[in-house]
Amino acid sequence: MKHSLILRIGPATFRIGSAWRGPIDQLARLYARYPAVTDEIADFTVRLQPTSPVRRWIRPSIFITGDHGLADAAPMSLSHGLLAAEMGMNLQMALGWRRHLLLHASSVEKDGRALVMTGESGSGKSTLAALLGERGWRLMGDEFALLDLDTGAILPFPRLVSLKNRAIDVMAGEVGEGRMGPLLAATAKGDIRHMVPRADAVARMDEGAVPRLLLFPRFGHDADERPVGSAEIFMRLTQASTNYVALGQPGFAALTRFVGNVPARAIDFPSGEAAVAMVERLWEQMA
Amino acid sequence: MTGVDGNRRYCRDGGAVTSRLLDDIVLLYHYRSGQTHMVISPVPEILDRMADGVAVTAQDMQGRLALDFDMGQELDAVAEIAAHLEALVDLGLVRAA
Repeated sequence: MKHSLILRIGPATFRIGSAWRGPIDQLARLYARYPAVTDEIADFTVRLQPTSPVRRWIRPSIFITGDHGLADAAPMSLSHGLLAAEMGMNLQMALGWRRHLLLHASSVEKDGRALVMTGESGSGKSTLAALLGERGWRLMGDEFALLDLDTGAILPFPRLVSLKNRAIDVMAGEVGEGRMGPLLAATAKGDIRHMVPRADAVARMDEGAVPRLLLFPRFGHDADERPVGSAEIFMRLTQASTNYVALGQPGFAALTRFVGNVPARAIDFPSGEAAVAMVERLWEQMA
Repeated sequence: MTGVDGNRRYCRDGGAVTSRLLDDIVLLYHYRSGQTHMVISPVPEILDRMADGVAVTAQDMQGRLALDFDMGQELDAVAEIAAHLEALVDLGLVRAA
């Protein structure tokens, strides 16, 4: 492809090719502090290409593809090129990663132990991880937590944090403009801005942590906390994993061990600040 | 016993199963199909008592279970066991012998 870049995020490397320069320049700026990768064979390829040759120039329209593709992926506007690249990387991980059990979850670390948060899009797991990452925790990832099949550790995947709608102003106020990407207005998921994780999250992205607490967060409700039964936890985590079935028995062994060893709670919260306070209190209780 | 032949014999499927207990749920991973099943009593107890590989009828299984559990009315118990065995055949964990 005309423009390209190799990125390493945690254990995975991505070669991102684009017919246009803009998305690659934006990625290069936002991932500037990530380890330099040269001449490496990437785990995955992501390609941003025009939906047809003429669409490179006229009303440019991006088709996301790569080693693993979705036939019905909708074309995106070039102004959303950064989002297309991030979605392309997520897609390759979700469809192709086999070295760890991949959980659709955010995670943060403190004192060598990991807090894992899983839930639907809009549950607040991404924003909560981003907030904790600025309040004395190490951000391990806002989208995917990688469960090691042998050791049971959670490994980081600290890509750019994808902030949506109201979370954008909350986090931009917290971290400053220098760590924020461009505003991508009116995407399929509303307004989106990407945030660069703190330097410690990037520097320690090869460092896993033993999982100590699992939360099912839910934003937009009165503060509440409930226990969750093991069977429900197992069900929800199989649904939150994109490769549980593909991994076979090692995935079963890793997930049952996780559910058996890690206490879990469902928490509802009306605001990010309330959530941070609940998390800190629960973490202390579990100590 | 409606709908199930009382002489029908069953044995465990050869594709081994790994099991894990989570609270009162037993998770079964079936190697042959790659499927995970969540089961509760009396299914794990029935499968445990088929581990010797001998083909059994629902009546035989009632006898095996009665060694350890109070099974109540025998006819009701046999009918319930037969229904469970048929459900396990549908899942591929048990075969008709």
